Amino acid sequence: MNVEIAGLTRHFGRNQAVAGVDLEAGPGVFGLLGPNGAGKTSLLRMMATVLPPSSGKMRLLDRDPGSYGPRRDIRRRLGYLPQNLGYYPSFTVVEFVEYFALLKEMPAARVPAAVAAAVERADLGDKARAKLRTLSGGMLRRVGIAQAIVNNPELLLLDEPTAGLDPEQRVAFRGLLRDLGERATVVVSTHLVEDVGAACTEVALMNAGKIVFRGTPEQLTARGEGHGVGDAPLERGYSAVLTEARS
Amino acid sequence: MTAAGLQKPEPRAEASRPRGLLSHSGPRLVRLHLASRRVPGALAALALCALVLRAALIWHWSLGNGNGAQQLPVLIEAGAASIIAVTAQSPFGDPERATGRWLPYLRLGTAVGLTAAAFGLLAAGAAAEHLPGGTLDILRNMAGMTGIGLLLAAVIGGALAWTGPMAYMIVTQFGLIGDWTSPWVWPARPPHDAGAALCAGLVFVAGIVAATVRGARAFREV
Amino acid sequence: MTLTDAPARPRPSDAGRASPMSLWRLLWLELRRNAMPWMFPLLAALFVFDPFRTAMGYGPFWDLRASVLENKLLPDFVAFVAGVAAWMGSRDSRRHTRDLVDATARPRWTAQLTTWAATTLWVAAGFLCCVAVLYGVTASQATWGGPPWWPVAVSLAELALISALGFAAGTFFPSRFTAPLAALGAFLLCLEGFRNAVGRSSGYALLSPTTSVPDDDTGLFHHYLPDVSIAQLMFLIGLTLVALAILGLPRAADAGPRPRRAAAVIAVAGLAAAGTAIGLTGTARTEAYGTVIPALHDAANDRPIPYTPVCGQAAGMPVCVHPAYRNFLPAMTADLAPVLRQIVSLPGAPARVDQVVVNDLIPSNGAAITGVPPVLRLPVSGTPDETSFGQNAGTFTSYLQSTLVTLFVVGARGFVSMGPPAGTPGQQAVELALLQQAGTAIQTGAPGRQPTKADQVATAARRFAAMPAAARHAWLADHLAALRAGHITLAQLP
Repeated sequence: MNVEIAGLTRHFGRNQAVAGVDLEAGPGVFGLLGPNGAGKTSLLRMMATVLPPSSGKMRLLDRDPGSYGPRRDIRRRLGYLPQNLGYYPSFTVVEFVEYFALLKEMPAARVPAAVAAAVERADLGDKARAKLRTLSGGMLRRVGIAQAIVNNPELLLLDEPTAGLDPEQRVAFRGLLRDLGERATVVVSTHLVEDVGAACTEVALMNAGKIVFRGTPEQLTARGEGHGVGDAPLERGYSAVLTEARS
Repeated sequence: MTAAGLQKPEPRAEASRPRGLLSHSGPRLVRLHLASRRVPGALAALALCALVLRAALIWHWSLGNGNGAQQLPVLIEAGAASIIAVTAQSPFGDPERATGRWLPYLRLGTAVGLTAAAFGLLAAGAAAEHLPGGTLDILRNMAGMTGIGLLLAAVIGGALAWTGPMAYMIVTQFGLIGDWTSPWVWPARPPHDAGAALCAGLVFVAGIVAATVRGARAFREV
Repeated sequence: MTLTDAPARPRPSDAGRASPMSLWRLLWLELRRNAMPWMFPLLAALFVFDPFRTAMGYGPFWDLRASVLENKLLPDFVAFVAGVAAWMGSRDSRRHTRDLVDATARPRWTAQLTTWAATTLWVAAGFLCCVAVLYGVTASQATWGGPPWWPVAVSLAELALISALGFAAGTFFPSRFTAPLAALGAFLLCLEGFRNAVGRSSGYALLSPTTSVPDDDTGLFHHYLPDVSIAQLMFLIGLTLVALAILGLPRAADAGPRPRRAAAVIAVAGLAAAGTAIGLTGTARTEAYGTVIPALHDAANDRPIPYTPVCGQAAGMPVCVHPAYRNFLPAMTADLAPVLRQIVSLPGAPARVDQVVVNDLIPSNGAAITGVPPVLRLPVSGTPDETSFGQNAGTFTSYLQSTLVTLFVVGARGFVSMGPPAGTPGQQAVELALLQQAGTAIQTGAPGRQPTKADQVATAARRFAAMPAAARHAWLADHLAALRAGHITLAQLP
C-alpha cells in the first residue's frame, strides 16, 4: 500500500476540515469527489506533506511523514499538483519543470531527459521554450502536471488537474492517468465525475470532512439508480450518496 | 425532474438607475476598494515613516547643516511616496478593469487621500520639532515624489514603482549638497519657491491623472 | 498489516542528494530569472551621475577616487538592493508557489539561499562593473600606485548584508510595502543611522563603511591601514551569516534537524564574528596616518612608502613632488615661479621646494620653510584640474602662492587657510603685493564707503606693489627681519 491513513483529522481554528478519514490505496488511480468545502484539498495537502495533520496516523510509501528524514524521502518520490497553481511568470516551461525536478533532488544527470519527457507527456513540446506568462490557463495547468510527473513519482496527488483543459486534452490526460496508475498511486481530486468514471479504478466521496462512500465507479453509479439528481449515471450516484450522508 | 414544472421567468424589471458613490452601497464599495489596495497597511507604513521622522528630529540624526539637514526628511518623504506608489497595484487585473464607471474615481480618491494622509502623518511626526524647511516642504516634496511613483506605476506596475521616488531622492541628495537651483529638483529649493512648487505640482497632477485613468500596469516579469 | 508493522521500502539506489551540479543548475536558473538586472539601467545612470562624476572631480589618486565606492556608490546601491532582495524573498508568497516548493525534497532554506545567492551575485556583478569603469579610467590617469581592494571588499560585504536583510524581510513579511520600507531602511542605515545610533565620536562608528573623504595624498606617502577595513569585513560578514541563518531556523522553514542545527551554528558564528569586530573596534585609536586596531595591525604598514621624487625648476629653484603628482609638476612650477622670482636670494627664501604629506594630525607636519639652506616643505591638497568641493585651477594656484607668501613673510608654520592673508597689517600688505605681482588681483572696497582696515591694507599693498621690482627687492632685503617681527606698520611701507 502506498497510502495508509487512519483517523486523520485537520482543523483550522474551529473549522474541522478533515474529520477522521481512513484510507488505503495501492497502485492505481483513486478518485476523490466531494462538494466544495468537503475537505478534499486539505486531505490532499496533508498527503503532500505540506500540511501537518491535527491528529491521526498516516503512512506514505511505507514511511511516516511525521519525521524529517522519511518525509524528505517521501517528497523525492512524490508528485503534487495543487488546486491553485502558482508559477514564476518569467520562467519558461522547461525551466519551471527543471526547477522542481532539481528541488525534488533528482540526480542532475537525469534531469534534462526527465524534463523533456515530462513536457512531452503533458503535450507541451511546442511550448517548451515559451515563458509561463504567455501561456493560457489550460497550458499552465499542463505545466503543473509536467512538474508533478517529472520525477516519475510513486505517489501522485492531483487537485483539479483538468481545470481549464479542453475536451480533447482531458481525454489525453485520462489516458496519461491510467498509464501512471499502472505503477504508482494516483489520487485525483476533481469535481468532474466523468474524469472519475473514465480514469479511476476506485473512488471516494467526501462530505463534511469524512469519507461517505468508498468503492468503484460502477458501485457509485449503482447507488444512483432510481434516485438522485443528475444528467449522468455517475452524477446521480454522487448526489444520491450526498443526500443520504446529509440526511 | 421534468420540464413540466418550469414556467416562463417573470419579465425583468426595468434596470434601476446606477447609484452614486454616496448611496448606501458607496461607502461599502470604497471600503472594499481600500482593502484591496491594502490601504490600512499603507497607513501603518506611513505612520512608521512619521515615527522615524520624529525620532530623527528628536535625536538629531541630521546629516549636516544647511541643506544637508534636509537630506534625512527628504529620504523619509521619498519613503512615504514609495508606499503610496505601491498601493496603486491592483490584485484583480482584467476583471476589475471590465467593470463600470467607479474605478477611476476610486483610484483618484485613494491616491489623493493617501497623499493627504501621508502629509498629515509626517506633519504630525514633525510637530513641535524643528523640521528644516517646515511642513510646506513636506507637502511639496512628497506630493511631487508621489507623482513620480504613480507615473512609474502606470508604466512598469505598482509593485516596483517605489524605485521612482527612491531614484529621485538620490538625485535630490546630490542636489541638496550641491545647492542646485533647478526647480525640477524641488527638495533642493527653499520652501516658498514658486517654481519648485509648480514643478512638483505638475508632476503630482500628472501622476494622479495617470493613476486615475490608467491605474497601475500589471507587472508579471518576476 | 497495521500501520506500524509494515517494513520500510528500500530506498531506490539513485535517490538524489544535494550534488554540486544540482545546486549549480538551481543557481543558474535563479540567475537567469532574477529581478535584479531590471535595476541595472537605473543604477548605471546613478553611477554616472553621482559617484563617477564625483570621482572625476577628484585628483587622479587611487585611494581618493576609491573613497567614492563607500561614500557614494554604496548609498546609491543599497536602497535598490534591499528593495529588490525583499521582492525576491517574497516571491513564493506572491506567486503562491509555497505549497509546490514545500512539497519537494530540498529544504525550503536551500531554495531560499539559492534565490538570495543569485540576487547577490547580480548585485556584486553590477557593483564590480562600476568599479571596473572607475578603476579603468583612474588607471589611465594615475601615475602612481595601484587600485585599492579593501574598499571594494568592504562594499561587497555591505551589499551582501543589505541583500540578506532585505531578503529576510521579504520572506517573513511578504507584503507589498516590504520592498519600499526595506529600501528606505537600508538607505537610512547605510547613510547615517548607524553613526547616529552609536554616536559620531564613538569608535564603533568606524564599523560603518561610509566615511569622510580622505586627503588627496592618502596612500601615497604612507600605506593605507587596513585595520578598520578588516574589522568592518568581520562585522558585515558576521551579520550576513546571522541574517541568512535566521531563514533556516523557524519550524515553518521545514529544514529538518540537521539543517536547523547548521543554521544555528552559522548564526552563532556570525554573531561571534560581529561581536569580535565590535570588541576590536573599541580598541581603535587614531594615529598619524590612519586608525590603528592593535590586534589587527601590521607594523610593516607604519613604514613610509619609498619613492623617488620628480623634480622641475621654478625661477631656477628645484621643485620636487611625489611621482603621483608628476603630471601636475609643470602647473605647480608655473604657479610658484612668479613668487619665487620676487624673493630669490632674500633671507629665508627657499632654495628648494619639496612636497610633503598632507596630515594635520601631526604637529610637525604642515607647510614650513626650514633647514639650511631653507627648503619649503609644501603639503599639496588638490590638483589644478580637481573640481570637487568648489576647487579649480585658480584655487590651486591661490593655495600654492598664498602658502609660499605667508610662510616667507610671516614665518608661520602649519596649514595656510584660504582667505585674508595672515599676520599684522604691514605683513598682510606685503603678502598682497607679492601676490599681485604673481598675478592675483588685490580686492578693493566699494567706492564712497568708509574705508575699513582691509581697505587700508589693500591701499598700502598697491603702493608697495607699484614700486619697481629692484627697489622692492632691496627694501625687503633691508627690512625683512623687522617685517617678520611685526614691527613694520602700514605707514612705514614705501
